[in-house]
Amino acid sequence: MQRVKNLGYDEDELYDNHDEYEQEDATAYTAEDKENFATLTPVIRAELDEAGVQVSDKDIEDALWHYYWDVGKSVSYLKNSRTPRLQQQSTEKSDKAKAKSKFDEAAERSAEKAVRTTMPPMFAADWFRNVSWTLVPSHVEGDLIPNEPVRPMPKLLGGSSKLAKLAEERRKKAATAAASQSESPAPNGSLSALERLSKPRDAKENEAPGPKVEPKKYPIRKKRDPTPPPREPTPPPPEPEEEKPDLRASPTAFGLALSTSPPCGLHPASMTLKDLLGSEVADDPFQGPSPDDTVLRAQQYSKGTPNKRRQSGVNGLAKKTEALKLNGTAASAPAQPKVRSRGLDVPKLWAEEKSRRKASAAFVVIGHVDHGKSTLMGRLLLDTGAVAQRDVDKYQKQATEMGKSSFALAWVMDTGTEERERGVTVDIAQHHFSTNSVDFTILDAPGHRDFVPNMIGGASMADMAVLVVDANQLESGMKGQTREHVLLAKAVGLKRIVVAVNKLDSTTPDAWSRSQFDGVKGEVLKFLRESGFAEQFVTVVPCSGLSGDNVAKAPKVSGPAAWVANTHPTLLKALEKSVIPDIDGATIRRPLRLQIADVFRGGVTNPVSVSGRISAGNAQTGDSVVVQPSGETATIKALEVNAEPCDYAFAGQICTLHLTDIDPIHLRTGDVVCAASHPVPVVKTFTAKIEALKSLLPQAMDVHLGRLHVAGGIKQLVSTVDSEGEVLKKKPRIVKAGQKAIVKVGVEDGVVVEVGDRVVLRAEGATVGFGVVDGTA
Amino acid sequence: MRLIKHSIERKTGAGSATLLPEEPEDMWHAYNLIRPTDLLRASAIRKVISESGSGSRSNERVHMTLTIRVTKLDFDPQAAQLHVSGRVAEENKHVKLGSFHTLDLELQRNFTLEKAEGWDSVALDTLKEAVNQDAKAQLWAVVMQEGLANICLITDHQTILRQRVEVNLPKKRAGSTDHDKSLHRFFQTTFDSLLRQLDLANPKPLLLASPGFTASSFYQFIKTQASNGANKPLQQLVPKITVAHSASGHLHSLAEVLASPAVTSKLSDTKFARETQLMDRFFELIRKDDARAWYGPRECELAVERGAVGKGGGVLLISNSLFRSQDIRTRKRWVKLVDEVKEGDGEVRVFSSMHESGRRLEGLGGIAAILTWPIEDLDEEVEGGDQDEPAEDGADGEGDADGGVDGIEGVTGHDEEIDFL
Repeated sequence: MQRVKNLGYDEDELYDNHDEYEQEDATAYTAEDKENFATLTPVIRAELDEAGVQVSDKDIEDALWHYYWDVGKSVSYLKNSRTPRLQQQSTEKSDKAKAKSKFDEAAERSAEKAVRTTMPPMFAADWFRNVSWTLVPSHVEGDLIPNEPVRPMPKLLGGSSKLAKLAEERRKKAATAAASQSESPAPNGSLSALERLSKPRDAKENEAPGPKVEPKKYPIRKKRDPTPPPREPTPPPPEPEEEKPDLRASPTAFGLALSTSPPCGLHPASMTLKDLLGSEVADDPFQGPSPDDTVLRAQQYSKGTPNKRRQSGVNGLAKKTEALKLNGTAASAPAQPKVRSRGLDVPKLWAEEKSRRKASAAFVVIGHVDHGKSTLMGRLLLDTGAVAQRDVDKYQKQATEMGKSSFALAWVMDTGTEERERGVTVDIAQHHFSTNSVDFTILDAPGHRDFVPNMIGGASMADMAVLVVDANQLESGMKGQTREHVLLAKAVGLKRIVVAVNKLDSTTPDAWSRSQFDGVKGEVLKFLRESGFAEQFVTVVPCSGLSGDNVAKAPKVSGPAAWVANTHPTLLKALEKSVIPDIDGATIRRPLRLQIADVFRGGVTNPVSVSGRISAGNAQTGDSVVVQPSGETATIKALEVNAEPCDYAFAGQICTLHLTDIDPIHLRTGDVVCAASHPVPVVKTFTAKIEALKSLLPQAMDVHLGRLHVAGGIKQLVSTVDSEGEVLKKKPRIVKAGQKAIVKVGVEDGVVVEVGDRVVLRAEGATVGFGVVDGTA
Repeated sequence: MRLIKHSIERKTGAGSATLLPEEPEDMWHAYNLIRPTDLLRASAIRKVISESGSGSRSNERVHMTLTIRVTKLDFDPQAAQLHVSGRVAEENKHVKLGSFHTLDLELQRNFTLEKAEGWDSVALDTLKEAVNQDAKAQLWAVVMQEGLANICLITDHQTILRQRVEVNLPKKRAGSTDHDKSLHRFFQTTFDSLLRQLDLANPKPLLLASPGFTASSFYQFIKTQASNGANKPLQQLVPKITVAHSASGHLHSLAEVLASPAVTSKLSDTKFARETQLMDRFFELIRKDDARAWYGPRECELAVERGAVGKGGGVLLISNSLFRSQDIRTRKRWVKLVDEVKEGDGEVRVFSSMHESGRRLEGLGGIAAILTWPIEDLDEEVEGGDQDEPAEDGADGEGDADGGVDGIEGVTGHDEEIDFL
């Protein structure tokens, strides 16, 4: 009964169909059913009265029966069916018809059926014609069009209004009745009305075969109904196709060859196609029915009788497979066309589109835990329209249920179950939004010290950083991860930074305290200067993520935050201003390098997908790539940038590659996708020029290379150097905090490293040094 | 290990000892005791080919006791097996003198060891430690992070990585439950691997350590499994689980975990606690740029030479990997150093290279010293000394490149690679 759950008023049709088969079964409710009716009907009536809907007992009982005593569903169904709407008229009509039907109509219907079994042969052939219209393989359909340029698609029938449809329907019926004696049994009133309602749906379902669903229905119903009437589907009446005289022209040789090839000769599909091709390619175009007749009939039956449809329904699936088979052999296409490169000259395209392309930038959001990074980003996405208010309302509701309503905005970024339960960001969240001038990618980093490895990974994919500082707890902020994150942002090579002084709406003693903001600003700027950020690349913005003031919109002129509007840009404006395109053509011409940030299942069609930032070079569909360190080759099947499919991507973009010809077991986060012609070597030791944040000895450490996070350590202290690179001391005993040194770093498993890569060393949960790879040995 | 009998002369150290290995860890002790050129007598199975007068050959597997002069040792920590190769030193009717044989030492089978050079002080200490029957602490630990779990067994002298589980977890993604599913699968895999390693009939304490919530989630997972299933022994394991915090899921984080008070209070491993304390003190000193802390073979030798590692706080920290050198001279050099410190009433701590604290020492070249009084610029003097000994310079550079160990052959070879991972 899946369909019933999904549809509004369509179910009537289904029940009618039932009746055909289960005429006897549906007639009587069991004692148990009646009891249920007795208990539940008053409940529903009460509900409906409350909503001001008038319904007869009969309808309620019907609804209950169809929803298996589910009061909630029945009520909503009944409400829906009674609420004033455009379709109300027809709905009511159908309801009334149904109210009567159940029992009476079953008898009527059986009588009709008896008539139908003796249908004239013409009719059956037409019926196949009808099927063929809906099942024509696309290439055949293409052939048909020139002959019948005016053929209206069945689903367009009747125009927009139901009433218009009804009128047209009547008119057509009259016309066809006159034209053909083989008129179908006049569809009973309720049926035709319903059919029209369900019409568009049927047309749609031709893609995902509708009738096929139905056989499933019976077992399900049996299972759920405590006192099931025997509901085995009676086998469809034998299709009388063999006795029918062929009304069409004899098929051409081609048509014959096509139609006789499938093994299942009795299936209507073969006949359909034969007929189709035969009539279209016939020598004498007037031998068969005129195109207009065909159209009329097609319309008649496609919209006409679900009974017919049902007869075919059993065979529907088989027919479809048949049609597909025919299609396949006729086209003689290879099973899986290999992904072929389009041979685009990406650097050239890049240069051409450079002026037209919207600027794009990725920024990582950093700061201490609970300073409101995720909430601020949730607000930014909400106010720029990248996330719907509806979703946020939903989160709000769920969050309130868990007793953390202030986390609602953060939930836009924190989608993990654990993150929501604990209210802490664990992993990088990636999100896109666009302003008029820039496409932004947010990389929301976790603030908790245990998840700094994830933050490093996110920062390595970003072009700039947004530092979120809580205006109320600067003390904890500058000491904790604010400090470490700023240093790490510098370590991975970020130069531009926007400081968002957050939670200004809750400063004490009064909100939006300017002096407090200035105090925080001074502190932060001082620290950034000490850490080596140039002042012209730093912007400080006051804002409040929770209330949304000065994030995307300037605060109200009247409120306590009025001073902000005149002196500071909004966070969004500040971000836009900080975007400087820094990718040049040379980088794009280099061989491809992409560090995998995530390996996932992109969907049914893309079982293996990786995402990450292209650090150099370009990629396009069909490119063959090597994944290091596994050394496995793969082919790029498709590319996505900002969740939009595209043909190529280039350095600086964060993109998703859908790969084929590779087992996902060879792909890990932190691996590098590189051009097949220029694989990066895999090494176990390398030298790096590092800056020590704590004293360094040869010892075990965590080695971070972007997203990669491996066990390793300093094997040897080669020398300490000064800022110009002059060697101060060879083989030092220890590298003290603040000193620069050349060290030899070893890792347990081979890693992909190139000269110039950024490396971060951490030990015992703290960053002890960072630097640049100097040489790979 | 049980000492069956021994006849070692106090003065010269000549003589032999018969030992009975009883548990896997005894193989590790044996590995540290047996040195090349020693005489080892143990039971062996050898295929004997006999040729009859008519020229037909017959193969026969013969049980016998063989005595070999050791040339090479091969230790497999995962399986706790020790293979000792050498040349037969006592002829019998099946085996000729000088033919090669590899003895596989087995549990519950005696072997007799005779030192060619006599039992030195380090060897005697090792022997003493090996036969020490005190309660042996054993502990299972799972050091994990999302997507990575290291299952290891921690004993008094070793940390043995028994299994590593590595799963790529898809990152969180709006509207997808792939991450949660994969995480569950990862827990399941880790749990299954763990059960295969553990002896549930006699559960040892289990330590779960991770950054973030992974360990506690895994603990919940085990609890759920224990309450769901009919696996009764599993329910006995649950109260023995300790959850701790580690900086990362990599194995070297274990040192930090084991030193944390939450764990030390549950562990009776006093040897390890002492060693960790010493290492911490050493690192503390060197961070403060105190000239009393020095590491590296040359520096330590020089300091000992000057008598700086002596009475009143002088400690020599040395890894037992140095004594496993294939080269007798190198080994003697370290034994001499140890003896010198002992003569000067200094303290000597031999660290197990396979234990966590020992591994930290390995990073420093296997040897470090806390001096009684500060010596400034010891390293510069060493560099000066280098030029006096050009012959050793080459070896010096090599050693440094491979692991920062000076002139210790056998440490850098494949011998050491088996240690771990």
